[in-house]
Amino acid sequence: MVSWPHWIIVAIIMPMAGAVLTPIVSRKNDKAAPVWALFIMSLTSLAALFLIVRVAQEGPFSYLVGGWARPYGIELHFDEFSASIGIICLIGWLALLFSYHYVAESIPKPRIPYYYTLVLLNLTGMIGFVMTGDLFNLYVFMEILSLSAYALVAVSGERVAEMAAFKYLVMGAVSSLIILFSIGLLYAVTGSLNMADISTRLAGIESRLPVMLALAGMAMALMVKAAIFPLHIWLPDAHAIAPSPVSAILSGLVVKTGVFGLLRVYQIFYGAGTYELAGLNTTLIWLGAISIIMGAFFAIFQEDIKMMLAYSTISNVGYIVMGLGLASQYGIIGATVHIFNHALIKATLFLGAGALMYKTGYRTLTDLRGVGKAMPLTSMAMSIGAISIVGIPPTAGFLCKWYIALGAFQAGQPAFGFALVFGALFIFIYYIRMVNSFYFQPPTHPEILEVGEAPVSMLFPVLLLAALCLVMGILGRIPLSFIEPAVTRMLGG
Amino acid sequence: MKKALVAALLILAAIPLLLAVSELPPHGSASNATYTHVSAYYLEHGAEEAGAENIITDVILNYRGFDTNGEVTVIFTALAAVLAVLLLGDASTATEDKPSHSVSVVVSFIVRLLAPFIAMFAVYVIINGHISPGGGFQGGTILGALAIVLTLVLGEDEARRLLPERPKPWLQAAAPLTFIGIGLAGLTDTGFYLGFPTAEALSWIRTMWLLAIEIGIGVGGAAIIASIFWTMEAER
Repeated sequence: MVSWPHWIIVAIIMPMAGAVLTPIVSRKNDKAAPVWALFIMSLTSLAALFLIVRVAQEGPFSYLVGGWARPYGIELHFDEFSASIGIICLIGWLALLFSYHYVAESIPKPRIPYYYTLVLLNLTGMIGFVMTGDLFNLYVFMEILSLSAYALVAVSGERVAEMAAFKYLVMGAVSSLIILFSIGLLYAVTGSLNMADISTRLAGIESRLPVMLALAGMAMALMVKAAIFPLHIWLPDAHAIAPSPVSAILSGLVVKTGVFGLLRVYQIFYGAGTYELAGLNTTLIWLGAISIIMGAFFAIFQEDIKMMLAYSTISNVGYIVMGLGLASQYGIIGATVHIFNHALIKATLFLGAGALMYKTGYRTLTDLRGVGKAMPLTSMAMSIGAISIVGIPPTAGFLCKWYIALGAFQAGQPAFGFALVFGALFIFIYYIRMVNSFYFQPPTHPEILEVGEAPVSMLFPVLLLAALCLVMGILGRIPLSFIEPAVTRMLGG
Repeated sequence: MKKALVAALLILAAIPLLLAVSELPPHGSASNATYTHVSAYYLEHGAEEAGAENIITDVILNYRGFDTNGEVTVIFTALAAVLAVLLLGDASTATEDKPSHSVSVVVSFIVRLLAPFIAMFAVYVIINGHISPGGGFQGGTILGALAIVLTLVLGEDEARRLLPERPKPWLQAAAPLTFIGIGLAGLTDTGFYLGFPTAEALSWIRTMWLLAIEIGIGVGGAAIIASIFWTMEAER
């Protein structure tokens, strides 16, 4: 079962076909769209599970689309990093379930089937993005996921949402263009689009300037996608104003594709072996550190709970990018695992915030005072999310941040280890504000005490994710040791 | 001041770009990697093993067919994005009280006279893409443009009849669905997604499959272009 070679293509084709069929399935019955999308994602998750088991058993494997040998056709390549398909399926599935009631009330009715179409397309794009071994194919999947993400921000139809989506679209489109240009440069000097093939051929290239420009272009454009300071300006509005399940997908998964792209670029250049990457590494470390501090700093002043969460994403992507830039074993392991853990934590928080907004109709910390008594389970889940994101020991956030800090020492840059701790302190302050307003302050609106918990379709994803935040804190070693061989291989060249 | 600053920044950004481009291998040089590596293989083997005499068609539909599979999904995503952002809360009241365009009799007559020929040309481009430049994307665009021109001349209600409600979502999804269908057929036949039969005796199957994909792309592209135009028109 596990060794059937076609699971990798099933994992892409299943959500793709499911997405284009959604408008047809839901033509007679509106309620069919969410059920159909959940069904499709369940099957996709099954394929993902087999793929992850296979990579754990036998290591990285490839699939040749159309049967054409590399580099003439397109190669899908599944390595340990591609196992992020697991978190994509998990968060995607839970966000779809959460959407069932949430979207029915917040989006105009004729748009609902297309909402589910776009979510499935977005997940298709991300799944393809993490599994492809071809640079242009990577770009194609990036377009699917970016285009659907822009539209999902605007789907509620409010004027601010459309403005936020437009800002996102402009930044995103320019960065996509730069990536395409960089891919063109790499093709011009190597004559190939296959990542592994480019990596081997780059070693013998004489004219270095085009290659360095391609590297710089891709790094910069991917930093826009990852919302690294000062290229983050599109993120807070887009993530805060989008419907909450979309925010969970955008903050938990979509920004990470920028980081994931950086990881792939690093794999190509480490593989080539003859390129000096110290400049890029230093840039990433510094920008990562600045993002940690600035994201946390802005988050402190936010009244709007989703705005605060959005700024917190900038901080956390900063951690990941810093870990990558440190270029040490521990740093990169911590960074890749933080991609996974932060997705869990941020999805908990955004879905929890969505549940609060759905029941109370309020979204600022002042308005939400006292909600801890009214919605105890949701508030508890969000508090667990808050402790996890600060990185307090028994939770998911601790181990990966610890690894990134160790990575800073391993790379001989202890100062950045302290920047990381300092950032965590900041983060602690604003999450304490949230917990404080939920539990320890008299309600601004007394009627808030009357509301009950959200429906099960919303409560279940929040509680499951919060439980996973705790479980991943205790079983945190598993992802760390899972990813280790891939990182060793990458750094070893 | 602001303009001068922007100009200065643009020049500053242009310098490294131009420097890098000037170092690229020159066009036409025999050692240029873009001629010697992957594309050399396509030129040598494309015509006989990929199924189309036109090498471009071989590359986009066969060797790198999966990319095109993704690209048609991008186009479908564009449609889903437009519908998700622009569809109105209540679809039934959207079309009333539209000021009708007044189009000159001459223009209207010429467009209606030319319409079947334009449609014929679109079909020609789609089917002939197999052996010459052209194909589903180009032909589909011509067909979509025809739908737009007819909307301007005949009015929206009349033109919308070109795309009946029942098959509409199927036609909009035609391109990705054909790709997935052919891909799965290839999987059962050759053991690879989007694999085309390689045996010499089966070359007609290869040709038929490529043609099916071209038609799927053409029909899907036209339906999407027309739908996007009508949705934006209703919004105006």
